[in-house]
Amino acid sequence: MLNLIRAEWFRLARRPLVWVLLALLLVLFVVLRLTEFMVVALHDGIFTQGEARLALLSEAQVQQFRLQLTLPGIFGAALGHVNSVGGLLAIVLAAGALGSEYSWGTLRAQLARQPSRARFLLAKLAAVALALIAGIALVLALAAVLGLALGAVLGVRGSFGLATLLALPVGMARALLVMLPYVMMTVVGAIIGRSALAGAAGGFLFLLLDVGLGALSALGQLSSVLKLLVNLLVQPNINALVVQNSRSFGLDPAVVTPALDLTLLPGPVQAVLVVLAWSALFGWYAYAALARRDVGGAA
Amino acid sequence: MDAIVTESLTKRYGQRAAVDALALNVPAGSIFGLLGPNGAGKTTTIAMLLALVRPTAGRAIVLGHDVQREPARALAGVGAMIEGPAFYPYLSGRDNLRALALAEGLPPARVDAVLAEVELADRAQDRYRTYSQGMRQRLGIAAALLRAPQLIILDEPTNGLDPAGQIEIQQLIRTLAASGRTILLSSHLLHDVEQLCDRVAILKGGRLLASGPIAALLQRGNGVLVRVAGDAALAERAAALLRGIPWVVGVAPQAGGLLVDAPAERAADLSLALAAQGIGVAELRAQHTSLEEVFLQLTGDDRRPTTDT
Repeated sequence: MLNLIRAEWFRLARRPLVWVLLALLLVLFVVLRLTEFMVVALHDGIFTQGEARLALLSEAQVQQFRLQLTLPGIFGAALGHVNSVGGLLAIVLAAGALGSEYSWGTLRAQLARQPSRARFLLAKLAAVALALIAGIALVLALAAVLGLALGAVLGVRGSFGLATLLALPVGMARALLVMLPYVMMTVVGAIIGRSALAGAAGGFLFLLLDVGLGALSALGQLSSVLKLLVNLLVQPNINALVVQNSRSFGLDPAVVTPALDLTLLPGPVQAVLVVLAWSALFGWYAYAALARRDVGGAA
Repeated sequence: MDAIVTESLTKRYGQRAAVDALALNVPAGSIFGLLGPNGAGKTTTIAMLLALVRPTAGRAIVLGHDVQREPARALAGVGAMIEGPAFYPYLSGRDNLRALALAEGLPPARVDAVLAEVELADRAQDRYRTYSQGMRQRLGIAAALLRAPQLIILDEPTNGLDPAGQIEIQQLIRTLAASGRTILLSSHLLHDVEQLCDRVAILKGGRLLASGPIAALLQRGNGVLVRVAGDAALAERAAALLRGIPWVVGVAPQAGGLLVDAPAERAADLSLALAAQGIGVAELRAQHTSLEEVFLQLTGDDRRPTTDT
């Protein structure tokens, strides 16, 4: 199995698409942080030595931005970036990784050498997960550098203690978990539609549907039974994980996104279990579709 | 021992049988040709042998293992190229093979060895997408050879190649065959098969029409062509007379004359026998059938004329 994962990683790491997606992830992170920096800089009058100030946001919101731009809060912003922009890119990555096997005909060539479809799928998912972990780690590394630089400009002395260090791997794991159901649905789409395009369509459609269903969270205010049911959907649990990641690094998402009622979100254990359960269900379905379908031969 | 055995192997798509109760035996060490027109079921048969397509009924045994029950064991000694070569276009030829070698725990030196074997070492660093069709086919064969298989399965290996490319691949297959491996070769190019294979199976509409050594199949159409000097009635009299000769296996009308299934070296005896009964012979010649003629005869496609020698 390890050999199969190594081979998948070998192929994935050399694929231009992966590097383009990684570049997009990093560049957009820098652009978004610099945009936030501009808002804070205009508010603080940094460019005018305090003579002219532009108040676009409330003081509390600007303070949140300051935290997001400096250590350790920038790690929370980085993980948030991974789960928003990165999530979209992860769908493209997973669709390309599996769907292209159909369009290039490499699926039949691989399965003719190694007929276990479960091993094939697991190796593929492991390689995609490794790529995502590498992407998250690079965003966090960039965040550290950017946090130090922007902190110096803003005059905010950030901190990077043991607690932050310990929170990083947990945050990475949460960020990965948040992307997992979308990646799995992308894989399902790629297998059923036998193409990268179908995979991407599957992933994005699920994302849209999931976010749409996330609006049902408000129903939780009506009764505890409704809250229990709604919290079994993917989106509230994803939100819970994202909020936990923000809080781990001293951020308060409710300040920047007041519409989000944090009291309705499920607890951390439930969030992990529900997201894992949905991901496992999608993964099983992907395997079942791959296993029962013929590869090649007459149509 | 047989490298491949299929027993009533069947694949149906709805009401249509792509492969219908196929019974094949491919002896170890042979070069076996799977022949048939497009849609005959060759690729589906190979896909079932490689566990890519699940049979509707019957079973396939490859290198002594049931493909459905023990696919990993059955395919461990198999190298295959099905429906043409398939590789990652952004990787070089060498990196494509390196990835396969990594997956199977093979040493990197094996990659260079097979690249040399198919004479692709010079272009191994180039991206696969820049390869010509002939180079792609050779890389496909290199991939099939990577694990030093006992059985090599090649589906239409000369497809899409120009004549020079076809000759290149034929020579490569001959070299592989010389190493004693079993080769299953599917093609609709009859000349290729006749040149390369020692045994064939002919499929049409998913059904096996004939199978066996090529020499035995060719024997079916061999004989002596006799054209009598006279009308149809005289030709019928001649046929009856020839059927009465003990060493004549059969007589059939063909190409305006009679094809006599008899040894070519006894053509003169046939002429004498007819002359003794007052039947004049206008033409008498030995006829050797090509695989193409046998194929067209078996598949019921009579578009091509027979050629005599």
